[in-house]
Amino acid sequence: MATADRRASVKWQGDLMSGSGTFDLASSGAMTGAGVSFATRTEDPNGETSPEELVAAAHASCYAMALSNTLAEGGNAPESLEVDAKCTLDMGSLKVTTVTLDVRGQVPGLDEEGFQSAAEQAEQTCPISNALRGNVDIQLNTSLA
Amino acid sequence: MVLARRRADIEWRGTLDEGEGSFTVGDWMLGEVPVTWIERTSRIENSTSPEELMAASHASCYAMALSLVLEQGGTPSERLHVSAACTLDTVNESFKITKVELEVRGKIPNLDDDGLREAAKRAEDICPVSNALRGNVEITVDTILEEE
Repeated sequence: MATADRRASVKWQGDLMSGSGTFDLASSGAMTGAGVSFATRTEDPNGETSPEELVAAAHASCYAMALSNTLAEGGNAPESLEVDAKCTLDMGSLKVTTVTLDVRGQVPGLDEEGFQSAAEQAEQTCPISNALRGNVDIQLNTSLA
Repeated sequence: MVLARRRADIEWRGTLDEGEGSFTVGDWMLGEVPVTWIERTSRIENSTSPEELMAASHASCYAMALSLVLEQGGTPSERLHVSAACTLDTVNESFKITKVELEVRGKIPNLDDDGLREAAKRAEDICPVSNALRGNVEITVDTILEEE
């Protein structure tokens, strides 16, 4: 069975409210020493990222790949796809409640209905969607560019 | 009730195998980060993948949860290092994220190994990212108490 492992590391100092951390995308080195703190999750991000923003980045990039594959398999390879993901943390329950995916595509030969159908199919195969399934509400909005 | 939303944008061009995308996260990155299918399954320097971003999200979320549990237990940490490895696998010919392995090293005055293991378990129970993956992805936690 083929597997691919990806690793990330974070160093944290101090308590939750006043402490802070830095993380590395350790497998690739694409980001190193990025700052993260509790305040970035709930207040102005102020140039730092947060777990929810990273979930949004993972979901947007995973979903874009899934949709590009679904469209190509259906004979309508996309020229370009733009996916915005919004990840919502409910501060009352400390739960990640929702990810909203806004998808815009340039797909020659496909109408809105066909695009919507492909987008829904891709949501079912996307590994990040399936990792969140049942725990997080996933919403999908599509439009053709 | 206060709500927090965080956004990440990705643009993808072309097919899965040959295409590529780039994403931006807030305004803290200098420019855009490339992301490719090939990086998910093989390895390209300076290009990330959804699994690596998921690992980064989980590591940072879990570190915050554990810092809170330790603080509430009266043994605040001096330093925590959390490493998360996220695995993408093929199951029934489909791609699936099967597990996240968390490795915790902590310098925590006045806490023994058992105390850290117990705190680590409680932190896993409350960690929002752990709970977002619950039931779908296997989550393991290993702990090491650092002396100095």
